[in-house]
Amino acid sequence: MAGAHSDPLTHPEVAQGGVLRYIAGFISTTALMGAALVVTLRHDQPYETYLGLVGGLALLALVSQAVLYYGLDISRSQIWKSVALMLTMPLFIITVGLTVWMFQSLDQRTMLMPQTMEQPTLLQ
Amino acid sequence: MQAQLPGPWSPLLGRLTLDQIPYQVPILQWTFAGVVVIGLAVVFCVLYFRKAGYLWREWLTTVDHKKIGVMYIVVGLVMLFRGFVDGLMMRTQQVLANGPNAPGIMGAQHGFLPPYHFDQVYSAHGTIMILFAATPILTGFQNIVVPLQIGARDMAFPYMNALSLWLTTAGAALVMLSLFVGDFSAAGWVGLIPLTELPFSPGTGVDYWMWAIQISSVGTTLNAINMITTIVEMRAPGMSWFRLPVFSWTTLSSNIIALTAFPVLGVALALLGADRYLGAHFFTAGNGGNLMLYTNLFWIWGHPEVYFLILPVFGILSEVVPTFSEKPLFGYVTMVAATFAIAGISWLVWLHHFFTMGAGPDINGFFSVATMLVGIPTGVKVFNWAFTLYRGRIHFSVPMLWALFGLFLLLAGGLTGMMLALPAINYTVHDSVFLVAHFHCMVLLVVAAAFAGVTYWFPKLFGFKLDEGWGKAFFWVFTLGTVITFAAMFALGFEGETRRLDWTFDPAWKPMLIVEEFGIMLYVVSIVCFVIMLAVSIRDRAKTRLAQPWPTARTLEWLTHTPVPFYNFAVTPQVNMRDELAWRREHGLDQAKPDRYEAIHMPSNSALPVIIGALAGVWGFAMIWRIWWLAGLSLAGIIVCVIIRSFDKNEGYYLQPEEIEAMETNLAIGAIIAEQPDRSHSSIPAEAH
Ligand code: HEM
Ligand SMILES: [Cu+2]
Repeated sequence: MAGAHSDPLTHPEVAQGGVLRYIAGFISTTALMGAALVVTLRHDQPYETYLGLVGGLALLALVSQAVLYYGLDISRSQIWKSVALMLTMPLFIITVGLTVWMFQSLDQRTMLMPQTMEQPTLLQ
Repeated sequence: MQAQLPGPWSPLLGRLTLDQIPYQVPILQWTFAGVVVIGLAVVFCVLYFRKAGYLWREWLTTVDHKKIGVMYIVVGLVMLFRGFVDGLMMRTQQVLANGPNAPGIMGAQHGFLPPYHFDQVYSAHGTIMILFAATPILTGFQNIVVPLQIGARDMAFPYMNALSLWLTTAGAALVMLSLFVGDFSAAGWVGLIPLTELPFSPGTGVDYWMWAIQISSVGTTLNAINMITTIVEMRAPGMSWFRLPVFSWTTLSSNIIALTAFPVLGVALALLGADRYLGAHFFTAGNGGNLMLYTNLFWIWGHPEVYFLILPVFGILSEVVPTFSEKPLFGYVTMVAATFAIAGISWLVWLHHFFTMGAGPDINGFFSVATMLVGIPTGVKVFNWAFTLYRGRIHFSVPMLWALFGLFLLLAGGLTGMMLALPAINYTVHDSVFLVAHFHCMVLLVVAAAFAGVTYWFPKLFGFKLDEGWGKAFFWVFTLGTVITFAAMFALGFEGETRRLDWTFDPAWKPMLIVEEFGIMLYVVSIVCFVIMLAVSIRDRAKTRLAQPWPTARTLEWLTHTPVPFYNFAVTPQVNMRDELAWRREHGLDQAKPDRYEAIHMPSNSALPVIIGALAGVWGFAMIWRIWWLAGLSLAGIIVCVIIRSFDKNEGYYLQPEEIEAMETNLAIGAIIAEQPDRSHSSIPAEAH
């Protein structure tokens, strides 16, 4: 294959990378994920706030990883990878979406509140 | 924030103590003796025939996709045997421990396996069969066949390919090690939650299960990347998408599934690890944890995983059926479309594994309909194979017999799957042995295709055929065993036997349990036939040496010489048609020789993958026993290896035209079992630039 024995440093994907960008990507993702951990450990917010907060931090971490670490953009050498990342979005939406739907229904059906449990049911 | 550990822990040995070695269990004493004897015999043979150097240079450090594929299949077959012995023990226990008065020996109240041991046996059986037998065997075929089928010199990343193999092997080794040091998980191959949580499984069994899967699935994921890249990037000139052989198509779709699904398993197990090691509460019943979340995550991987297994199997059938029907595959385009439809749907159905969780009629209805949709593309495939057979000139060779039996299993497994996909039926047979019989039809289809593949592609690699007579004996005994065992199992399912019983309390099950035992005994006989088949074939190899083992084969892998030289194609083929070899044969071009050879660039061997694999195994062992210093040390070792690799200036070597010419005329020198001279210093020839 072409490029197999030429200088690896001239390969467009390798040329994309840079020490500063790697370090920035590493630090920013670690910091964002660390922040999510710290926020969660504090136990002082309502459930919905956590969902938004942690979800938002995760999204930022993902973006900083994609942009800084992997250098994804729409240039010729990277477009394939950017498109591939986009193509996983439907899977993400399917799995997370269906999971949310399932748990929402499961909760209503199995996590019965005390007052409903006190009401007479057909069996009584 | 480390989790509260039950039992002793020391900084030097972690949780490891002498009484973790189960030397008092008779079954394990015998197993250990057997392993030692076989191990010593292998070592003795290697040393006696002075093959240690050969083994190291030509196999352990190789980056050749064919050798890696062969080693994948060998690992898979060894694990298949181990998993089979587990199955044999379960069948025997269930028939001995039937009814309230069944006697017990060796510490068991009924039968010969106490419950805790029995639970480990079925957990190991499932884990091994799916992840360490079926997966490596199929990966092995993909490794061997895909580059040949697309006209490539090797995989896109030969070094990473070796790394994948050794990571998978490290996982398999950990599972085997759990026999002799500590226990294996007793919580099923799916990791029944909350049983896998530390308070309920305080030993190291779950850790063995968890880390073995975690390490080997890194290998599987890397391999998926490699396969996808190879198929996208490395096709020979003229090999356009719609000329790609169907096995390569199925490999592509199956590895897209692997690449997207395995990370979910990794996350599920990592969260479980956080619970077990750091005292987190992702899957606990209290403190904000949610048990169902684990089950949900596991099956988000689990269902795509079963299609990851079945798609390459469909690919093997699609190669074997046309070859032995002397006809092109019927409906190529619909076959490809059906493959991707199945892969797509496989992401929408996972909840059918826990209809009984109680998520409600809308949700069960949605997943039920989605599951049944899979029947449409699968039906398309079955009809395509049937129409390929129709009016074909059918040869009942061994690979074809396996493929035809595979179609039968697909029907039985698929139709019972459809039954299970109806929540109303599922509520009555979920977790019964009816379900176990369903998925064994499916996974035995994988095994049938594996043996079709072994007999079909064996001559490609080694230059001689496997003995037809013993191959047929093996086929018929195995098939009979399968039908008898699993027909009885379906019946037991309807009689209400639930799965995973160490004591089959109902005496009414006795007759069918005996039938099952008889069936499994046939499997034992079939293994003997298999070994004889190998021995006889190797003994008679001179007689069955053929330039073209299957004269009706149609795809590109049969265009190279048999046995295939380690560089695959002397000259990169130009592809003109979908079934290239059939086309060339029709036009009298299949024997054409190139007028001159050019130097071929080859990757050099590397010891790093096998070293990294070994270090990963040590790391897993250290994590299991919580020997932190060893874990840190082996992880550091892996990082050092990776750094060494990135500064490695070795860019492979060139095979010179004269050498190629010599090997093209005398195939034995270039065959993959031949020892090659050291070429690592062959300089780059001028004309290559
Ligand atoms: C026609 C396609 C298929 C359908 C409709 C189908 C349906 C199902 C359903 C509904 C279940 C859950 C049953 C229960 O737990 O109550 C199930 C379990 C299972 N299926 Fe299938 N299946 C199909 C194909 C396959 C294939 C191709 C494989 C593997 C190669 C497979 C392997 C399994 C396994 C391993 C389980 C059980 C897992 C466990 O609980 O241990 N199935 N199947
Ligand atoms: Cu499924």
